[in-house]
Amino acid sequence: MTILARLEQWREQGAISPEQHSHLACLCRGELLSLFLELNLLLYAGVLAFVAGLGWTATTWSQQLGDVLVLAILSTIFVTCFWYCFSRAPAWTFAQTPAPNAAFDYVLYLGGLVWCIELAYLENRLHILSGQWDVYLLATAGFFFFLAYRFDNRFVLSLALSSLAGWFGLSISHWPSHQGAAYRLYALLYCLVVGFGGALLQRLGLKPHFFGTYLHIATNVLFWAVLSGVFEHEGYSLWFLVLLLACGVSLAWGLKRRQFAFVAYSAVYGYVGVSSMLIRNVSDFTFVLTYFVFTAVAMVVGLVVIARRFGRQA
Amino acid sequence: MRIYSAASEETLRASKLLADWAGEGFLTQEQYQRLKRETVSELRTTNIFLRLILFLFTLISVCAAAALFLTVFVPHSWEQTNGIFLVIFAAVSYAAAELAASRGRLYRYGIEEALAVGSVGFLCVGMEFALFSGHPLLTASDAAHSLVPAAGAVFSLWIWRRFGLWYAFPAAMIFTIFLSGYWTQSDAAQRAIIAVFFVVGLICVAALRTRHRFDYLDDTYSLAEAFLWLGIYLAINLKLSPSNLPAGWWGWGGSGVAVSEYTRSFYWTTWVLIWVLPPVVLVRGIRLKDRFVIAAGAIAAVLTLVSNKPYLGWPRHTWDPMLLGILLTGVAWFLRRWLGRGPGGIRAGFTAARLSGKDKQWMSASSAVLGLVTPQSITPSPQTTSPEVRFGGGASGGGGAGGDY
Repeated sequence: MTILARLEQWREQGAISPEQHSHLACLCRGELLSLFLELNLLLYAGVLAFVAGLGWTATTWSQQLGDVLVLAILSTIFVTCFWYCFSRAPAWTFAQTPAPNAAFDYVLYLGGLVWCIELAYLENRLHILSGQWDVYLLATAGFFFFLAYRFDNRFVLSLALSSLAGWFGLSISHWPSHQGAAYRLYALLYCLVVGFGGALLQRLGLKPHFFGTYLHIATNVLFWAVLSGVFEHEGYSLWFLVLLLACGVSLAWGLKRRQFAFVAYSAVYGYVGVSSMLIRNVSDFTFVLTYFVFTAVAMVVGLVVIARRFGRQA
Repeated sequence: MRIYSAASEETLRASKLLADWAGEGFLTQEQYQRLKRETVSELRTTNIFLRLILFLFTLISVCAAAALFLTVFVPHSWEQTNGIFLVIFAAVSYAAAELAASRGRLYRYGIEEALAVGSVGFLCVGMEFALFSGHPLLTASDAAHSLVPAAGAVFSLWIWRRFGLWYAFPAAMIFTIFLSGYWTQSDAAQRAIIAVFFVVGLICVAALRTRHRFDYLDDTYSLAEAFLWLGIYLAINLKLSPSNLPAGWWGWGGSGVAVSEYTRSFYWTTWVLIWVLPPVVLVRGIRLKDRFVIAAGAIAAVLTLVSNKPYLGWPRHTWDPMLLGILLTGVAWFLRRWLGRGPGGIRAGFTAARLSGKDKQWMSASSAVLGLVTPQSITPSPQTTSPEVRFGGGASGGGGAGGDY
């Protein structure tokens, strides 16, 4: 039975009203198509392309244009964006607030990115911030957190978390090359700050829908940091225990809250960590293959049990 | 031909649509709970995260099992022998996928998908070893070598039809791209062959989908059509896809063909086509109200704007991305305003309003992820003068801007 036939049946049974039937049948027949996602994607791509071009132009033409002109242009865009946002924003509330219009979130995001370009330009050309990068990063993170909470914007929240990571000395592009103990400790500290900060804000009822973003970022950074410890040649036992603990917590959280991304994190990161521990000194290729056959099958069985018990269609 | 009955798939589709409509408030929770009971399918499904990791671990176990068998039972065999065993593994893996789907009633569960995907991989590698061992891939110029990608393409298409796995279709397209490399050395001819294959595929898909306009197969055909349009576009755009297909795509010495090596008429014909194709695709997508085809047309249009200057030999300017950004945001803004001013916010069956609860979830998830990732990609990467890490020494700028900007 097609969905159109079902809708007809439900209407005859009185399960849905004639108006609902008409609207839903219209959607099913493709008579009405929403371009909501596509238009948002266009706006996002537009902002991104604009900022990329702006940054490229500023770096390439700074000498010809002069610092004053470049900074004036950047400042004008920045001020215009924030004037627009502050003048159009609805009254602040603790709860989730919809944006006043479709372009609002992207104007705010544009302003945030232009702010980054302007500060980086100041440092590069005029060295105003020399030796003060940590202060700049922390202040930028604070500014973005303020904007994210004021305007209820996940884009800017992510910028804030990214800037905070920068203050901790973390950068995605640096991760593979610097996995030293110090780097790992800062990553763990970052996880603690982000995780507990997010939890505290959620408990206070301050934009509680942001909590998921905090938790996903903190969890992933935590697992990367702990795994880098497990991969060390010495002193990895403690990190291995921490990994097992983290996997257990992530699994329990995922199952309890029905957030299966956390189940996936614990399964994948846990498997990688445990496998590296068990086969790191094994040179017998047959043993390694046997290990993968049995452990992967065991994982599949375990996950099927989880899927059948907890993880129906989500 | 489908392994799942139409009734089961229609029921699943109805169940998903109900959840979607309830999420957007088109149905009350009471209505949703009541109707949900009427759309219970016997197929076993799971959520996307468990599906992904089940896929991963099934693939690991299947590949490791095949490697273990070859290592233990035929340790010093010829490559041809290994190839024959791999072809047998392909059959076993495919049979297991069939069983998992038919007996186990697994539907998009990861397990049956990994088994099906594994069977394609085993078949191609097995055929390569069994038929052409000792010859490195792609160096043999004989047309017989094209049997491997041909088998991969046909088998992928079969899996797409049989299991309805959407990604099997682009996989078949990728195999098709490899075919032409065995038949001719001419880059222009390769592109023409690929485009012809995709056009034929497009005609078939377009003919087939008219019968499934309102049923569960419509999305499958819609996605396939979008992939084919994009494939045709990429095949004819000389400035986007590397020359010497597919070697250039994989870095096997695709050194690039100078413009002069294309005939003048071929070069300018492709330039005309990259301008003609996007509006054609967009018009078809708008006429069918098909979001995937519209997206393919929009992507092709943006790619045309990006590749036009290299085509004409004009220099790129640093402000080109800014102009593109202004154009994109301008188009989005105009369309939203134009649609919003229509009666009820609707014009010609299109609206800028959200009609699906799923769109809301997508927006929430993607805004967090994209917001985190993009600053890293649009700003110059930071230089490290010292590997030493110090607290507070953020090497990246705010939001990812390079500290050495």
